[in-house]
Amino acid sequence: MSIMDHNGGSVIAMVGKDCVAIASDLRLGDRALSISSNFQRIFPITDRIYVGLPGLGTDVATLRERFRFRVNMYTIKEEREIEPETFAHLVSSTLYEHRFGPYFIEPVMAGMSKTPSGGYKPFIAATDLIGCLNFAKDFVVAGTASSKLYGVAEGLWEPDLEPEDLFETISQTLLNAADRDAFSGWGAIVHIITKDKIITRTLKGRMD
Amino acid sequence: MNTFLERYSSTNAVSQLKRAQRLAEEEDEFTDSAWGSQAGYGQLMNGPPSFTVPNVPDPSSFLRLHTDDHADPNCRIKIQHGTTTLAFRFQGGVIVAVDSRATAGSYIASGTVKKVIEINPYLLGTMAGGAADCQYWETYLGMHCRLHELRNRERISVSAASKYLSNLVYSYKGMGLSMGTMICGWDKTGPAIFYVDSDGTRLKGDLFSVGSGSTFAYGVLDQGYRWDLTDAEAQELGRRSIYAAGHRDAFSGNTCNLYHVKENGWEFIANYDISKLHYDGPGDVAGSPGHGYGYGIRVQGRSSANPPEATAAA
Amino acid sequence: MPGMVSMTQPIQQSFNPYTENGGTILAIAGADFTVIAGDTRQSEGYSIQTRYAPKVFRLTDKAVLAVNGFAADGNMFVKKVRQRLEWYRHAHAKDMPIRAIARLIQTMLYARRFFPYYVYNILGGIEEDGTGAVYSFDPVGSYEREACRAAGAAQSLVQPFLDNQIYFKNQTPAAGTAFPKHLPLSTVLPLVIDSFTSATERHIEVGDGLEIYVVLARNSTALAGLQSLRGVQEVTGTNDGERVFVIRRDLKKD
Repeated sequence: MSIMDHNGGSVIAMVGKDCVAIASDLRLGDRALSISSNFQRIFPITDRIYVGLPGLGTDVATLRERFRFRVNMYTIKEEREIEPETFAHLVSSTLYEHRFGPYFIEPVMAGMSKTPSGGYKPFIAATDLIGCLNFAKDFVVAGTASSKLYGVAEGLWEPDLEPEDLFETISQTLLNAADRDAFSGWGAIVHIITKDKIITRTLKGRMD
Repeated sequence: MNTFLERYSSTNAVSQLKRAQRLAEEEDEFTDSAWGSQAGYGQLMNGPPSFTVPNVPDPSSFLRLHTDDHADPNCRIKIQHGTTTLAFRFQGGVIVAVDSRATAGSYIASGTVKKVIEINPYLLGTMAGGAADCQYWETYLGMHCRLHELRNRERISVSAASKYLSNLVYSYKGMGLSMGTMICGWDKTGPAIFYVDSDGTRLKGDLFSVGSGSTFAYGVLDQGYRWDLTDAEAQELGRRSIYAAGHRDAFSGNTCNLYHVKENGWEFIANYDISKLHYDGPGDVAGSPGHGYGYGIRVQGRSSANPPEATAAA
Repeated sequence: MPGMVSMTQPIQQSFNPYTENGGTILAIAGADFTVIAGDTRQSEGYSIQTRYAPKVFRLTDKAVLAVNGFAADGNMFVKKVRQRLEWYRHAHAKDMPIRAIARLIQTMLYARRFFPYYVYNILGGIEEDGTGAVYSFDPVGSYEREACRAAGAAQSLVQPFLDNQIYFKNQTPAAGTAFPKHLPLSTVLPLVIDSFTSATERHIEVGDGLEIYVVLARNSTALAGLQSLRGVQEVTGTNDGERVFVIRRDLKKD
């Protein structure tokens, strides 16, 4: 059994019409034993960027603090908020610094990035545990339920979903994938990010 | 030395199987009875069925190499594992409760497995370990129980049935069978439970739980168990114990199947969704607490971290 | 003396008679029909051995068997099942009912408990009472009747999607309504095709072609809709009333 399965958990991010969504389950386990049904692994980076950190629980806590530190340093030096694309590269290089003794985390990012014309456009990305970036146009997944998430998302997702439709799509994808994964589940949390607001909802999921 | 001895001894399981295979090969591959419906399970007269064994020095390590997913998660043939089953004896008979999840690695292969095998109207067997081993040998046991009835004009005792199974799997010891089962029934001596596993263990007892979630089930079972439980209390205890295992054990869950063995045979009580048990409870049934089993409602309003729902919404 | 031992018996370092040939199979039971489908790619590792190797086989007019795993074992297993079914036909002058075929497959698989067929089987067809049935098996013969099952390389991609779309898992019906217990063929077929196009998109071992068998019960209401489909071919063998059709579709070949 891989160390990536030790604590369990999965994250998915999807693109919609002028919005993005990121969602995760809430389980923290010790192999087969489920410990917590309120383990947060999605964190806000700015008002418009969220990052999900599925993988080893101890590295979730460590990486979250590392990213907070690095983003704060960036904000102080640059005197502006970090953009999602820049943050993705920050994540990538932070992970690659540990190329030969990696953090056991496969981050998923979702955000709205500023366009030159002053508007916003959706952005999602994911990396593997040593920081290889994947900029997808539709959805990205990671965690113990990744193969299940791919299957359901490929079947349910469509382009240009409005925020509420995107919410339903990402929720159904996550819930049904987690129900086929022994190490994910025990509730879920969904964040919908639009240019001017964030909707956060906690979902009731199967508790077994 | 040990392997040397085994190679030349004529009594170990491997060589017996190989000899059986040689004998089978000498005859035609199929007997005349195979032409009709007597094939398969039908050929009881020839003793236990014969099995194909790979022509390698150590067939059981060959099997282990290709099927054991604990030693090597990437091996090709995945035999499904992970289970919670329990059975206990009380004043009103036997309660048998099981979950319904089958996992292959982290994938939940099925959430609707029937882990109680209805051997006959008076005998139940539970399923933990290899699903096929339990299904096949307990069906086979059922046929022998029927033959016993025809020969002796009375039902087989739970003790005799379980011993038949135990002796049978013991003859395959070391070959890689995997089963942990409870044979439950009601005979002349009253309600009875025997634990039988593929190592050859056979135990008589009042209360057993088997599988990856058994520790969680035992926790609830032990604190609620009494001999003089009413039927309703006993059924509730069985449900509640399987719920606890389904809740905490990643490899158990989905639904709970509940059986009650009484003097004139077993009765299927119901199938409960374990997630529904968590949020809403078992519904309007005997012994129901009238609310969900989950601890959410028990901590609600007790601290600022758990505000009552009405306040949280406001 | 090790020399003595090796003279009496050859020493086998390791014996690996198994290969994984990829692909995915799927079956869904309706009220009076069953759909059994499989892709036609056969691969070994990253190489494609052939783009057309059927994994779904008509056994009788009431039963279709899909096999997935190690192709050599699968083909041999289907051959042996067909032989036993033919013997049954000679002995009883009728086709074996599907629940009996299911039990037969269990005993045939379990006979190889110590040298398993590396095959995941899904048996689909029509029960004697005219209802659609799906039986799924593990390699050593444990089996169960279900309404819907995916197996093979992309089972973990397809099955949760089907849970959602066939069983309506995690969905709540609108107030005063209920979800249908059985879906019509006109809903099931597009779901099967979508499942395979999704699996093809995300799994390298799935693709090339899709073969969908549809078994209809006597006087099934799905007949008219089915016959109007593009490229549907009838493969019924007897006049018992049940009818078997094949629909072939292309999948991406990359």
